[in-house]
Amino acid sequence: MQPQEILDAIKALLVERLKFDPTRAAAVTFDTALPKGIDESLGLDSLDFIELAMGIEERCGVMIDDQEDLAPHFKSVGALVDFISSRQIGT
Amino acid sequence: MTDRSLAASLTRTDTSGRAIPRWHSHAYNRAELYRIAAAMGWLPRPARLGLARAVGRAARRLFPAECAVIRDTLDVMTGATGARLDALTVGVFRDFAMCFSDLVTTNRQPPARLSAHVSRARSTERLSELKGGMISLTAHVGNWEMAGRLLALRSARATHVVVAPEELQALERWVRRDGDGVRFVPRTAPTVSLQLVAALRRGEVVAVQGDRALGTRGDALVPFFGRPAPFPLGPFILARALRVPLAPAFCMMGPDYRYAVTMPEPLTVRAGGEEDALRAWVALLEETVRLHPTQWFNFFDIWNPLRD
Repeated sequence: MQPQEILDAIKALLVERLKFDPTRAAAVTFDTALPKGIDESLGLDSLDFIELAMGIEERCGVMIDDQEDLAPHFKSVGALVDFISSRQIGT
Repeated sequence: MTDRSLAASLTRTDTSGRAIPRWHSHAYNRAELYRIAAAMGWLPRPARLGLARAVGRAARRLFPAECAVIRDTLDVMTGATGARLDALTVGVFRDFAMCFSDLVTTNRQPPARLSAHVSRARSTERLSELKGGMISLTAHVGNWEMAGRLLALRSARATHVVVAPEELQALERWVRRDGDGVRFVPRTAPTVSLQLVAALRRGEVVAVQGDRALGTRGDALVPFFGRPAPFPLGPFILARALRVPLAPAFCMMGPDYRYAVTMPEPLTVRAGGEEDALRAWVALLEETVRLHPTQWFNFFDIWNPLRD
């Protein structure tokens, strides 16, 4: 998947699995921060990250079973797109 | 709860300004008390527990607010009054002191020696029947930390214990000790759930306490002793999403001061069935607390943890 395709997949997950308003999801860019507690982020909480992770596994075909800290990869949409891209190259 | 100032002192707000409970914030949760309890580790266990019982009985006078909460809670849970209610209230402090003493001494023994303190392990063979990732579900009853260590030993899988972040770094070394297959995961950021997802995907064990509401959208009101109380829904959402079972476990101290470990039937969560599974868990907790009312170490108004 190309970065733009991954971005579109994430937007779709936000609407379908995390129940975001479609207008808000459409405004998401690579720079959008994900976790709550960060200014102008999407405000995702721990339950949202579970759903997002499961959605990424299903839609993008990557397994989230890392020993390393995953938080940096889920800090922003751009970081997440990079993470998914790197996984797809490796598979 | 009669002491509203206590509730106010035990809550704070998160980054969105929402009040969240501070279950772990108590006057006794101080490093020096852990240090003193650990220093008693040289005593033979019977003598140490005898000392703990005496300290526990005396401690209730030092913690009048907690004492009032416990008394009110026991009133609802047992219907006891008068001298019987007084005795149960003292019993909570007595049993807490003993389990607290074991937490920082007995629990620190090598895993193989922990079994010597277990009188009965009921249905723990279920653990070996559960393949792949699973969520171990317990509560602040009896010696829950020993339950986690024993089950980690038996499951032969890494166990990730989810804990509230301690506000005082000085407490960390006393409350938690990684090793023997057990790793503590503080809930310091929303992304902590990703660690749990990954651990379950690797076929490991995630251990959570299911009796402390978080004050977030992840809480749900469930009847507990006939009154709605908030409980965390997160473990059940995680189990449903990962399609892993939840394995309830309790480790209760018996009259001989040894522990009985019980594993009820594992819970599975179907899509949309998170609240049903939570209700089933709370029913198990209620049954356990009904049998051992002095071994549920809850110092809050469980039905109104955020009231101020």
